[in-house]
Amino acid sequence: MKKTIIVLLVALLTASFAFAQSGAETAAANDGPVTISMLYSATQTEAGALPADWAGYAVLENELGIKLELQMLPSNPNDQDLMVRAMAAADELPDFFTCSREVWADLAKNGQVLDVTDYYKDMPNRCAVMFDDAAKNFVTYEGRIYGFATPSAIAGNEGLLVRKDWLDNLGLAVPTTLDELYDVMYAFTYNDPDGNGKNDTYGYGAFVEETLSYEIYPGRRFEPLMGAFGVEGTWNMNASEFGLRIHDEHYYDWMVFFKKCIDNGVIDPNWMSYKKDDFRAAWKQGKFGIFREQNSAYAGENNYAPFDANFPNGSFVVVDAPIGPYGQSVGPLCQGMRVYAINADVDAKKAAKIVEMFDWMSYGEGYLLCGYGEEGKNYVLDAQGLPQSDASLGDLGYAQSKGQAYIQLRNCAFNYSNAQEIALRYPGYTTKVSQKYMSAGDVLLEMQKKTWTATPGQNSMPKPDTTDVSTFYQQGIAEFLNGTRALTEANWKAFVAQFDAIGGLVWEAQGLEYAQANGILQ
Amino acid sequence: MRSGKNYALSLEIDQLKAQKREVCLRLKEAKTQKNESDIQRVTEELKDVSAQLSEKKRAFSKSENQVLFAEMNRHKFIYFMLIIPLVYYFIFKYIPIWNAQIAFRNFISLKRTGITGGTWVGLENFKTFIGSYYFWDLIRNTLMYSFGKLLVSLPMSILLSIAIYECTAKYLRKIVQTLSYLPHFLSWVIMYGILLALLSPSQGILNDIIKLFGGTPKNFLTDVHAFPVIVILSDAWKEMGWSAIIFIAALMGIDGTLFEAATVEGANSWQRVRYITLPSIKPVIVVVLLMKIGTILDAGFNQLYMLYSPAVYSVGDIIDTWVYRGTINGQFSLATAAGIFKGVIGMSLLFISNWASKKVTENSLF
Amino acid sequence: MSKKPSTNVAVRPTAADKVFQVCVCAFLAILLVVIFIPIWSTITLSFRPANYIGSYLEGMFLAPWKWSGLAYKALLGNKGFLNAFWNSVKITVMGVVTALFLTVPMAYALSVKGVPGKKGITIFVMIPYVFNIGVVPTYLLMSKIGLVNHLASVFMPVAISTYNMIIMRQFFEGIPNDLRESAFIDGCNDIQIMFKIILPLSKAIIMTIALYYAVAFWNDYMRSLLYLQKTALKPLPLLLRDILLGASMNDNLEASAFGSAPIEAIKAASVFISAIPMIAAYPFIQKYFTKGTLAGSVKG
Repeated sequence: MKKTIIVLLVALLTASFAFAQSGAETAAANDGPVTISMLYSATQTEAGALPADWAGYAVLENELGIKLELQMLPSNPNDQDLMVRAMAAADELPDFFTCSREVWADLAKNGQVLDVTDYYKDMPNRCAVMFDDAAKNFVTYEGRIYGFATPSAIAGNEGLLVRKDWLDNLGLAVPTTLDELYDVMYAFTYNDPDGNGKNDTYGYGAFVEETLSYEIYPGRRFEPLMGAFGVEGTWNMNASEFGLRIHDEHYYDWMVFFKKCIDNGVIDPNWMSYKKDDFRAAWKQGKFGIFREQNSAYAGENNYAPFDANFPNGSFVVVDAPIGPYGQSVGPLCQGMRVYAINADVDAKKAAKIVEMFDWMSYGEGYLLCGYGEEGKNYVLDAQGLPQSDASLGDLGYAQSKGQAYIQLRNCAFNYSNAQEIALRYPGYTTKVSQKYMSAGDVLLEMQKKTWTATPGQNSMPKPDTTDVSTFYQQGIAEFLNGTRALTEANWKAFVAQFDAIGGLVWEAQGLEYAQANGILQ
Repeated sequence: MRSGKNYALSLEIDQLKAQKREVCLRLKEAKTQKNESDIQRVTEELKDVSAQLSEKKRAFSKSENQVLFAEMNRHKFIYFMLIIPLVYYFIFKYIPIWNAQIAFRNFISLKRTGITGGTWVGLENFKTFIGSYYFWDLIRNTLMYSFGKLLVSLPMSILLSIAIYECTAKYLRKIVQTLSYLPHFLSWVIMYGILLALLSPSQGILNDIIKLFGGTPKNFLTDVHAFPVIVILSDAWKEMGWSAIIFIAALMGIDGTLFEAATVEGANSWQRVRYITLPSIKPVIVVVLLMKIGTILDAGFNQLYMLYSPAVYSVGDIIDTWVYRGTINGQFSLATAAGIFKGVIGMSLLFISNWASKKVTENSLF
Repeated sequence: MSKKPSTNVAVRPTAADKVFQVCVCAFLAILLVVIFIPIWSTITLSFRPANYIGSYLEGMFLAPWKWSGLAYKALLGNKGFLNAFWNSVKITVMGVVTALFLTVPMAYALSVKGVPGKKGITIFVMIPYVFNIGVVPTYLLMSKIGLVNHLASVFMPVAISTYNMIIMRQFFEGIPNDLRESAFIDGCNDIQIMFKIILPLSKAIIMTIALYYAVAFWNDYMRSLLYLQKTALKPLPLLLRDILLGASMNDNLEASAFGSAPIEAIKAASVFISAIPMIAAYPFIQKYFTKGTLAGSVKG
């Protein structure tokens, strides 16, 4: 019995230890600095939280009278949504936070985020570099603005890449038209472009990467081909011919071409089952020679290194999208946005402070602190006055392993468009094995110059009301392509008609209404 | 459990009931013959019998209550032990169920509307789910995978546990027992990589073999016929050893003397497995089976979400994956509605199979 | 297993017995191969160098001197690793203790025959088992009782897994009732019976259920994500997930946080790093599998 009691006591003690684990800290918000809690999307979640000795904390407290309490969002977008929704349901939203547009829309409808229409004028510095009409539309609900939409990435940072060394091996010219591109795809597949004597290469490589709002199935990686038929993206945003691309008269022609590519084996047949990492591993192993890729995923130092080691003689050329019978486009171009919102429960004084802080982050000292860390510790200014992650800083440089934690608030600072930011983000370097000069920044500028379909605001277009509509769309197209359904004109028409009946037409009407209301028709 | 006293009482009650029925019959007869004196006499008799019967019944129920009370008193420590767990269940399992009603209300947040403050918007989410174009496909796929896994994984894990138990080659047994449960720790992301390596049309090992024999390679992961097989077999592959642990634990409890007795009577190994080993772990198998039937509409979200693609939605989309795509689109309450639907079906099936199991195997959950 | 109490191998094996043994060994040998494939391929994958070309199959036979430990270096070198590991240990240890403290008495109480109201209680516990109502309703509860940002929030909502409890009850039911009755007559109450008679006979199942709980808490990701919002409280699965997702999203960055380890290798290495403590625990549990005698024996 004694033993029993001891066991019980130990169990109870351990259990109570579990509950005593919290760091019970209550913020004394008297007349000292205003405490602002903020939920932020980290530049690199795995680098860890912004360190407590980040110089910005002191500056904020001494100069702006703000005590900033940070909390990091998880790295997966779905996890982020779930977390913010749960917090909102329990009234635990931080004072200032970032979230997806879907979640923001629900919060705005529920009155849980602050109307900030009148606060924009208090951010002169930030307004100077961002917040065009498309950005304001992005966070407008019933005529009022309920948040700040900042650019989340560089627009037009992807391009169509072709293996230059393969072209040279086979004596082919850089393709410009769809027919030429098809011939190159065919030659890459069957003429042993890498000269290893094995039939182990494909022309085009891709995986399914889609966003329902503007890059629906088969998604972004096929858009350079779709552009040749004028059916890239989810929507045709031209005012005169607005509608879902699937209703376009040339969509069937695209399907026929796509099916021909698949049947002739010139597209890597794994495209339906590859995930992003498999796709990237595949081109680094020389499995295919033509694909659409992001500038830094292609040319960034660590990303290019495996390819460089595998193929020291290999190289890529960024080509323009092929000119097809009905068009030419790398894909729809619109600025990705990140939504910041203020909790509706904060008082006017705090809201003003939040806006002040947000503006501070976008220029001068605040910009540098958020974007590059502390001078002398995380960066040094070079001759042109640009912050560099110099080797002399050791691993505390902002591009180095420890220094990366100091730039976690970079998303609050950067505007993702000026040349200086791009040059600093993507410095040139010499590859380890082949000793050639590479620069993801140069690649980016080249990619942005290519032919895109500029459709600002397309990424805020409504998604279908029910999963059924998108499921029917994706499944139908996939089944035509993998041969479950025979691709004939009659079958195609029947498929589109049924799609309309299930909710496709309703979705299209909602899209039209939204596009008209927000003035994003071209 | 009935005491002897109560048993005697119940016998007397049955006797009196028979007597009363007989008297009633005589009364009816007397009435048809319009014999006044008889009617009066028999009525008196009936009253007498009825009084006796109700008295006995009172005594019976009193004594029945006493027995119940005695039983409860005898088990008072059992109730004492149940207090904390039941409080736990109430707080951590039932309050969330109560909170789940927010899915059917215009709920905003705890302070703004509270759990019950939002107006009732009814069963819109149920309608969305049950009215879905794919509803029957989803049900069919979900059941296909849950039953398929029950039919493949469960027998495989039982076989594995018996084989480990019966094997006399010590090292083989130890190695298998230790390794077999490791695949459980490989996430589906990793398993997908392995499956892709096996099944990919360009470099998959299986397709290499097909090509060797002159066949045309096939993309199994996007083939509607191959996909269900892949799902069910890969689940068995990954989880078999893990599920076997519980059966190994059950096998360890078998009384060794049973085997000795059987051997003396001339039973060989096959017969001993058939007549001793299997029946010994039958109660555990039945309980595992019943518990799995309760959650029959959970067909393995993590696995299917990783493995499927639009090309195989027709055979790969289950309730949970469909709901998940819906919640990404912002239909957040849909998950709760589908959860309740799944619960109702699971509960009904559980009651039915529990009842059937009680009849057939004499094992049951409740 | 060496001191297995049963003597189910006959003194003089008959032909049928020999065939039986051959079948059993063949079955296990085949399974061994089948089970070994994913494990080995994941091990080799975790050591794969960044500039690897070749098929997955060839990768399985890559010579060990070509292996690269970059993936492990990247994961173990993360500055949050030790803290996250320690958080996970705390969650798992406290979780298992709490879970057994709640589960064992309940399983025992529900295994005793003839307790009035037992059926009702069983149905009471089965209802939440079949109804899975999503995360927000539970979040609201956790927020109200103030468990958010406590390590306990990871295991408290599942401190009794109905499945584990019912399985354990089934094993307790297999213990002959006579043992309990005679102890009762000797003047033991139910609590004493549980400690003195039931638990010593049920080590195998208690260790098994403890393992089930431990693995569930150790690997938990969803609840940690929702309830442990402070970076200092993050457990290992959350950290690994951040690293993995960060690694596959690193195209937006100048440099990746872990040099040149390939993402496939990092994925595979993270599986082993997170599974090793649980794998190491299993042999200790197997030890109890030999000694179990009565629990789970023939019922009735």
